[in-house]
Amino acid sequence: MIENIYVPHLMTITKIRDEAENVKTFTLEFKDSQIGKNFDYKPGQFGEVTLFNIGEAPISITSSPANKGYLELSVANVGKVTSALHQKNEGDVIGFRGPYGNGFPFEEVSGKNILFVAGGIGLAPLRSLINQMFAERNKFGKISILYGCRIPNLLCFQNELDNWAKLENSEVLLTVDACPENDWKGNIGVVGSLLPNIDIDLENTVAFVCGPPVMIHFVILDLLKMGFSGDNIITTMERRMECGLGKCGHCNIGEKYVCKDGPVFSYQQLKELGENI
Amino acid sequence: MQSKVLTTCEFCGCGCNFYLGVEDNSLTAVYPATSHPVSQGRLCVKGWMGHDYVNSYERLKTPLIKERGKFREASWDEAYKLIADKIQQTKSQYGSDSIAVFSSAKCTNEENYLLQKFARAVIGTNNVDHCARLCHASTVLGLSQTFGSGAMTNAIGEIGKAEVIFIIGSNTSEQHPLVASQIVAAVKKGAKLVVADPREIQLAKVATLYISQKPGTDVALINGMLNVIIAEDLLDKEFISQRTEGYDELKELVAGFTPEKTSEITGIPADKIIEAARIYAKGQASTIIYSMGITQHTTGVDNVISCANLAMLTGNVGKESTGVNPLRGQNNVQGACDMGALPNVYSGYQAVTNEELRQKFEKAWGVKLPAEVGVTVTDAINKIESKDIRTIYIMGENPIISDPDSNHTEQALKSLDFLAVQDIFLTETAKLADVVLPGVSFAEKNGTFTSTERKVQRVRKAIEPVGLSRPDWKIITELAAFLGYKMEYDSPSDIMDEIAKFTPSYGGISYDRLEEGGLCWPCPSADHPGTPYLHKEQFARPGGKGKFFAVPYRAPAELPDDEYPLTLTTGRIAFHWHTGTMTRKSWTLDREYPNGYVEINNNDAAKLGIRNKAMVKVTSRRGEITLQAKAVNTIQEGLLFIPFHFAEAAANKLTANNLDPVAKIPEYKVCAVKLEGV
Amino acid sequence: MSATRIIDKKKLADFLETLSSDCEVIIPTVEDGNLLFSELGSSKLEDSFKGRPIVSPKEYLFPQKEKILAFDTTDKVNVDIKAYTNDKKRVIWGIRPCDLHGIKTLDAIYLSDFVDTYYQARRKNTIMMGLNCNEPCETCFCNSCQTGPFASEAYDVVFTDLGDKYLVKVGSDAGQEAVDKIPNLFAEATNDDEKKAGELEEKSKQSFQRKVDVDVAKQNLPESWDDALWAEESEMCILCGGCNFTCPTCHCFNIEDVQCGEKASIRMRYWDSCQLGGFTQMAAENTRENQAARLRQRIFHKYIYTPDKYDGAIGCTGCGRCIEVCPVNIDITHILGRVASK
Repeated sequence: MIENIYVPHLMTITKIRDEAENVKTFTLEFKDSQIGKNFDYKPGQFGEVTLFNIGEAPISITSSPANKGYLELSVANVGKVTSALHQKNEGDVIGFRGPYGNGFPFEEVSGKNILFVAGGIGLAPLRSLINQMFAERNKFGKISILYGCRIPNLLCFQNELDNWAKLENSEVLLTVDACPENDWKGNIGVVGSLLPNIDIDLENTVAFVCGPPVMIHFVILDLLKMGFSGDNIITTMERRMECGLGKCGHCNIGEKYVCKDGPVFSYQQLKELGENI
Repeated sequence: MQSKVLTTCEFCGCGCNFYLGVEDNSLTAVYPATSHPVSQGRLCVKGWMGHDYVNSYERLKTPLIKERGKFREASWDEAYKLIADKIQQTKSQYGSDSIAVFSSAKCTNEENYLLQKFARAVIGTNNVDHCARLCHASTVLGLSQTFGSGAMTNAIGEIGKAEVIFIIGSNTSEQHPLVASQIVAAVKKGAKLVVADPREIQLAKVATLYISQKPGTDVALINGMLNVIIAEDLLDKEFISQRTEGYDELKELVAGFTPEKTSEITGIPADKIIEAARIYAKGQASTIIYSMGITQHTTGVDNVISCANLAMLTGNVGKESTGVNPLRGQNNVQGACDMGALPNVYSGYQAVTNEELRQKFEKAWGVKLPAEVGVTVTDAINKIESKDIRTIYIMGENPIISDPDSNHTEQALKSLDFLAVQDIFLTETAKLADVVLPGVSFAEKNGTFTSTERKVQRVRKAIEPVGLSRPDWKIITELAAFLGYKMEYDSPSDIMDEIAKFTPSYGGISYDRLEEGGLCWPCPSADHPGTPYLHKEQFARPGGKGKFFAVPYRAPAELPDDEYPLTLTTGRIAFHWHTGTMTRKSWTLDREYPNGYVEINNNDAAKLGIRNKAMVKVTSRRGEITLQAKAVNTIQEGLLFIPFHFAEAAANKLTANNLDPVAKIPEYKVCAVKLEGV
Repeated sequence: MSATRIIDKKKLADFLETLSSDCEVIIPTVEDGNLLFSELGSSKLEDSFKGRPIVSPKEYLFPQKEKILAFDTTDKVNVDIKAYTNDKKRVIWGIRPCDLHGIKTLDAIYLSDFVDTYYQARRKNTIMMGLNCNEPCETCFCNSCQTGPFASEAYDVVFTDLGDKYLVKVGSDAGQEAVDKIPNLFAEATNDDEKKAGELEEKSKQSFQRKVDVDVAKQNLPESWDDALWAEESEMCILCGGCNFTCPTCHCFNIEDVQCGEKASIRMRYWDSCQLGGFTQMAAENTRENQAARLRQRIFHKYIYTPDKYDGAIGCTGCGRCIEVCPVNIDITHILGRVASK
């Protein structure tokens, strides 16, 4: 019997945390602990999540591989599947297959300073990488995290942002586009507006950019203007996906399938692919 | 193992044929028929991907009876008995004419024939009508008066060979994709195309001339063209003198419609009106194609007559590849009309008021028949309030979403004494019913549909009815039995034999002959080959002459004002069908257009501060809906377009029940609204 | 492989009927003037026929709609997941060389990297018997794509119509095994038979009405990315999806969970079309917003992306179906001609 690549594994929701307005973080454990034991992944990879009798959707893994035994998914309620997921309770069971995609470079960027630029829920996949980097802290130079949201209520992982800021040789800068409630003491403006506030050793820094396509577009322009080379800008691509396996064709760009050859690309690679972010 | 069943598409009037692939009583595949003259191996997206609803879990699988506001499952006999009792009761207490029956252009000819027979012979009323009232009632009347026959004059295949094609009020690529296919082919071969539409439709891109008239000014536009044709002596004098009457009155009236005057009314520059008239009149084979943009107006009949005037003035009718071609919307709206699912005629347009014809049917059906013309769908709804209509039986229609002024329709249906609905889903209308009977889809029964080109074609059963549902023709016969009237047919083929026997234009049609392919009526005898184009030697009017009618211009009933400054027009999109009952349950179609939207001109959007894709509220005097804005440059300024498929953003909450005085068709194409951001 | 053989035309039915004792045999047949694939037994074998069915035989490996999984959540915690299997043995006879090539392309896509469970199950149980084309159709251009009119690969057995008999060539062990089931139906081919087949091939090659300079078109395509031709050629598209549905190499699908019980659903996969806007629609944005970009994707996928990804062979077989099926005559040979002449 050959393995059926479309069959999801059952996972139990062990914890649900309200992350931000319209965003929840789900902790999942494989029902079959054997599968859990063998399950390994890289930051930046994603899974196809099944809400039974509703449908399936690709969701990136936000936990770090350094934490064994469970997975975390941070999910904004935006569609049919994610809204069904938001209605689930602890103890409920969902389906999961993966991990899929190439994931972020890790060893390849060791020795470098790391600049993270995230927008909204785009911090979720980066969080996986950030925590893994902090777990192997001595491999990297300075770690700068720039994070922006539309309004303060949308900021995810606030506790962790505070913790990361306190760690050695790291900095965390936050911004919001606007603050209707007027209770925000930090920076106001798009996330790119934080860039002039930090010192960057261009030759020795790799930038990871993740967020809504518009935000990625403008941040990349900012980085290029600062003098970053295309190879040193790493981002993720969002495309409609059905299978996650490079078969269904929805996420095809050039000879690549975003689900399999991506979703992580350097800006240099993206330029060669032709289509827009 | 898979089987393949050749059948006729259940969506629009093009009448495409395809094979349905069947496995385990499910539809699993589609294969376009390459030998079919319209399909030619091609289909639109609905033909390819529109049939998932057939096997939907939401299908009605058992009769339902409402008790204390909730439905419970019931046996067929129980449901029949209840309906029969209620009909009997209403009849004895208030008379047969307090009952109305809505037939369905989605159902087969056989079913429509039986349902009008049921209304007339079993209930004893001519109150039978169907959604043709809402689409081509004006065509049936307008073309009957002018030509003597209310249907497309030519076959679809002839369009490909036309020299000039004049499209007015038809977004053909969206509504009749396989007719648009013929038009594109004709243009590639060198035909000239003139498009007149307030929206710059896709076909305008390949048009020789595109003109954009203000909504509801079609009579003026055509009168203006007639004026030019007469002034420049481009008319066909021989045709006019030998084959028509009433020219002088027409000439006198259109003299007032100079290009300048017409330009003022329509908003089209005078030189473009002249150009359109010249192109049309100079073609040796000019064909007019129209649809709801002509018919759904308070001047619907006038609009249709104007098209006929244009064709007769230039002798462009009665020949191959010319004529006046109303594109019928539903798969079988032509057939439902042909079968007499109309309040004034039996099958084959035989008037109920004609004593001789009535006696013919009395003899055939063995009962005394009512002599007065019945009420229309639109009038029936209005007559509920006055208690003139107390019970309605609906087969396969969803008037709450499809009729104008939804809120009014819903209130009216709620106040009926009794409502029975026969459908395949629990539609918005079925939810209001006292009894719901589960009918079947086109894939679960045998029958025939008559396409827009008057072609009678076979529909073949591919799968067994789902659950306990039954073919609609069977339901009618069984219900009739509960009312003490015997309708005994072994199969739809038997019903067609009865139709042929009493309907001259279908006289030569039988299932045996249809095995060889479709037949265009009139087909009066078993050896008659059918009639691809009409009015060859003479018109179908008594006396054989076509008749001009001088029609003055009348403005639409509800024009924009300070409070409601925009005009709303409604229509369909290629991915959905009518009230979405079927297409929104078909996976690909639902994915493409899951939600309603309103099309607005970029400049209007900018003026109102509305971003593309923003949510907006559209309000009329009758209701309001919230939906997404789609800013485009292909619609006139001041005009909005909303597709009417989406119950949660139902365009017909906004439209007005302003009717054409004769055809009783509502003016879906013009009403006044305002739009604001939310 | 063994020597080339011949079989009397009248005996082909005997051969296929024998094979059908333990598998389903699919043949092209003409019904009401429509050429369709159909099961032997329910339909008759044509003595000869021109062209290919409008829907390619890829659907026997990758069906239009296919049940892949069934879910039952009656037990909320131990959700029941059932995977559908399909290991029906099948012989398809009469596959044209373009379609044989199409299946070869699908093999490359579905059987590489992640091996597609459902495709693989059907593929390994299918024996493909080709039938060379003596007479191309008006829309055919396989000659330009070097996939036809006579097959040189990707078949288990291939037949050439010599009039009253077929020339039979075996291309695989599975094909050999099938032919060996009733060896007495076959005779050794003579030199004359082979010569006649050669002449037929030559004649067929001369009778194409369409020709595409594939190499030049491929070379020029990247430069055409921003060309106005994509908008011009796609402006009348009515979004039917027919070009994708009939294409022997289009492999895209969508997945939908369809309710089938109060607490049960079936996960279906079904053919999708990159010409539809919803194909790339995400929650907020669409990455291919206009029809020009979608038409360009279809052509680039066939002529650039597929060869780049899989061994250089283009993903277009020249079968001409997308031309025939298009209601508004969007013509890939015309488009490639424009590209080649830039």
